[in-house]
Amino acid sequence: MASRPNKIRPIRRPIMSKDSNEFTPCWEILKNALTDIHNKNASQLSFEHLYRASYKIVMKKKGELLYNHVKAFEEQWFRHHVLPPIAELVSANLISIALLQVPGSSAHERRETGERFLRGIRSTWEDHNTSMNMVADILMYLERTYVSESRQPSIFAATIGLFRDHILRNDLGGSSEQLDQRFLIFDILNAVVLDLINMERDGDIIDRNLLRQITSMLEALYETDDELENTKLYLTVFEPRFLSASQGFYKAECEKLLREGNASAWLRHTQRRLREEQDRCDTSLSILTTDKIASVVEQELIVAKLNDFLAMEGSGMKNMIDHDHHEDLSILYQLICRVDKTKNALKTILQSRVMDLGLEIEQTLKNTDFSAPAPGADAEDAAEGEEKAKVQPLSAAAQQTAAAIKWVDDVLQLKDKFDNLSKICFNEDLVLQSAVTKSFSEFINMFSRSSEFVSLFIDDSLKRGLKGKSDEDVEVVLQKAIILLRYLADRDLFERYHQKHLARRLLHSKSEIHIEKELVRRMRAELGNHFTLKFEGMFKDMELSKDLLESYRDHVRNLGDPDTKKIDLGIHVLTTNNWPPEVMGRSASQEEGDRGDCIFPPAIQRLQASFSKYYLDDRNGRVLTFVASAGTADVKCAFPKIPGKTSGPLSKDRRYELNVSTYGMIVLDLFNNGELEDDERLSFEDIQTKTNIPTQDLIRTLGSLSIPPRSRVLVKEPMSKSVKPTDKFGFNAQFVSKTIKIKAPVISGTSKVEDVEQRKETERKNDQTRAHVVDAAIVRIMKQRKELSHTQLTTEVISQLAGRFKPEISMIKKRIEDLLTREYLERIDGDIAAYRYLA
Amino acid sequence: MSDSKYITLVSGDGFEFVVLREAALVSPTIKGMLRSPFVEAQTGRCTFPEFNAIILEKVVDYFHYWHRNQDKEDVPDMEIPVEMCLELLMAANYFNLDAKPTPRD
Repeated sequence: MASRPNKIRPIRRPIMSKDSNEFTPCWEILKNALTDIHNKNASQLSFEHLYRASYKIVMKKKGELLYNHVKAFEEQWFRHHVLPPIAELVSANLISIALLQVPGSSAHERRETGERFLRGIRSTWEDHNTSMNMVADILMYLERTYVSESRQPSIFAATIGLFRDHILRNDLGGSSEQLDQRFLIFDILNAVVLDLINMERDGDIIDRNLLRQITSMLEALYETDDELENTKLYLTVFEPRFLSASQGFYKAECEKLLREGNASAWLRHTQRRLREEQDRCDTSLSILTTDKIASVVEQELIVAKLNDFLAMEGSGMKNMIDHDHHEDLSILYQLICRVDKTKNALKTILQSRVMDLGLEIEQTLKNTDFSAPAPGADAEDAAEGEEKAKVQPLSAAAQQTAAAIKWVDDVLQLKDKFDNLSKICFNEDLVLQSAVTKSFSEFINMFSRSSEFVSLFIDDSLKRGLKGKSDEDVEVVLQKAIILLRYLADRDLFERYHQKHLARRLLHSKSEIHIEKELVRRMRAELGNHFTLKFEGMFKDMELSKDLLESYRDHVRNLGDPDTKKIDLGIHVLTTNNWPPEVMGRSASQEEGDRGDCIFPPAIQRLQASFSKYYLDDRNGRVLTFVASAGTADVKCAFPKIPGKTSGPLSKDRRYELNVSTYGMIVLDLFNNGELEDDERLSFEDIQTKTNIPTQDLIRTLGSLSIPPRSRVLVKEPMSKSVKPTDKFGFNAQFVSKTIKIKAPVISGTSKVEDVEQRKETERKNDQTRAHVVDAAIVRIMKQRKELSHTQLTTEVISQLAGRFKPEISMIKKRIEDLLTREYLERIDGDIAAYRYLA
Repeated sequence: MSDSKYITLVSGDGFEFVVLREAALVSPTIKGMLRSPFVEAQTGRCTFPEFNAIILEKVVDYFHYWHRNQDKEDVPDMEIPVEMCLELLMAANYFNLDAKPTPRD
């Protein structure tokens, strides 16, 4: 390895010749080059040569001189070569068109003139821009040494800025005799561009590319040579003018649309305008403006007259909702989302529409219900009556039931409609959904019979509808039921009705138990445990009864003492608390005083005794009551042949199986025991004395056995369509039926809308129950809080009970009074009403 | 031709170096040279009368060194003979290799 010390070789400086006055030849080179560049002759030049020239000048510390020389050269060049053609373009014609808006000039003419001017500006700009880039390249060394040290604007900024100073801001020597004030070429440029944009808005086709180039030019130029980002001429001069011109344009357009008075057209137009402006920013202007112009359009076309458009008669939002104009509503939603995150306008109208339509349903219902005497409804009544009158004298009530179901169907339909709107048009917007739900719940609860109707709907669907239907159909019904349930505020009232209807369905096996259970399971999921407690108890009773019956039958078989008459017993043992009082026969005894139970035929009594013994054997302390009003019986009847008849069915013995209510069975038994002569008659009173059946039930029972021809096994005197306490009854030996099995219509088997009396009764009972619930709630709260003011207590009670019903303030007040007298609470002395809990 | 992958750099004493265009573009000077419609851009041949082959070779070395290592970390230093460093400094200055990139690059 060589140990020779490395010596730094001094720089040989061939470029730095001793000649100190080297600036002039170098500048000459550069000056010629600049001329060549402007004349587009640069391809003959050597970059290196020019670069070296500027490099040398800078090395000689003559950077500043060079800088100023270049600037001066460019200014001069501008004045002599660039400006004159531009000045030529600014003809008097252009000025009058662009700045004075002289009428009479056709759009075509304006466009031609304007575009010619813009093209002139564009080509000048492009030349200038290219040249300045090249100049900046060859002066790169100057740029990075002298310019950055002296904090001057870069050579590029300084030279490109010439365009701004000498062209855009040129007033052309004030050649504006037609104008009062001075104007700049920039003003003309702006006016022409805006005019072109307006032409495009009116449907003309313009040179978008040209526009884009002009705006990029403005984006490349700054207010000063410092080139601060936010001082682009585009942003400082052009954009504000563009926005304010657009504002004027759209304001006028909005007025025009308002006059035309078509909200649907307005929506589409606005949507199109928004798209156009966005498009314009993408293709002709700058994306910097996209949001700003959008907000101008939103403000002028949407916000300004929003309520006027929405309220338009015949095409406004009401019309869109009513006629399911989904497309319009979608657009509307999108537009409103742009301007208002709370969507209040939309929300209010939706809500009021739901309310109106909901109340309309109720109104229609009322009209059909109460216009029964009116001729139109009469005809309907008659038509329906004809079908049903033979079977059922109570077609009016059945019609009411139909009305209830119609109400539910209508509400569900309305719900479907708004669900659809939400899905299709409103993007399942949560704010709107909850608003609609609120309105639904409001109008449903304004209708006083909603609880009953909902329960009737469930009753109807489960009873009739589901046999032979697929799981999906069942699912739909269940879902509908739950949806409705969600809206109800008086859930305890619904509970009461559902209990009643469910009891009937269960006892008469009218529905499928697994569907009932599924429904109750969903209710529990929706409303909580306490709500479904009774229903589940009912299911349990049914199941236990089934097992019990099995084992009882086994027991009877094992006795080895076959009953000669062989009566088969089917029984449901029901827990009193779980079942509605109507079913348990309690209400009947309340109405008629304590008449005692009805008298069963001896054979039945034996059977009852046998079962009671079996049941109570291992269940000490229970009481078993037989409820005759809720059962049915299959009775085999024999009709002997009629003497003297030789042909036809009457000439033979006939055997029929008659399905009747338990009461019916008891009554029939009276005519069976052989004590009566063939043509002997029993009066109504006789029958009642012998059976002790409550009057109402007896009328119904006798009616079903003596009036409809299909099950007329008794003859009634006199023959009429209704049963009176003065009638007499006898065995109908002439009875003939085509079928062996006959079902006597069970009057109590169908669920109907309650009449006014029943309804009052139900409400009274419900209020009683509520009173207890409110009591319990007050005590619970006070036990915990010890002392509370009246208002606080009221609020707490309401919030505790919100899941079940909405207690009335007066009721709470009454309950508090009651608890005060019963000394659960005491008043605290003081100004405001307050209570203390007494342990 | 101006888009060919290589360009030729010529030293003051007539030596020619064929360089990867992409590597040479690290120098803003060369970049500007090839960007503008000047003779160099058309021929792909840049002559540097101020530099002899020894220095230009080192400069070319640097171009490739940079190009090879631009994305790597822990790169070994380039070997610079001490006696050349003043001249290389001047060359670096000429080729604009010591400057921060200007916005227009």
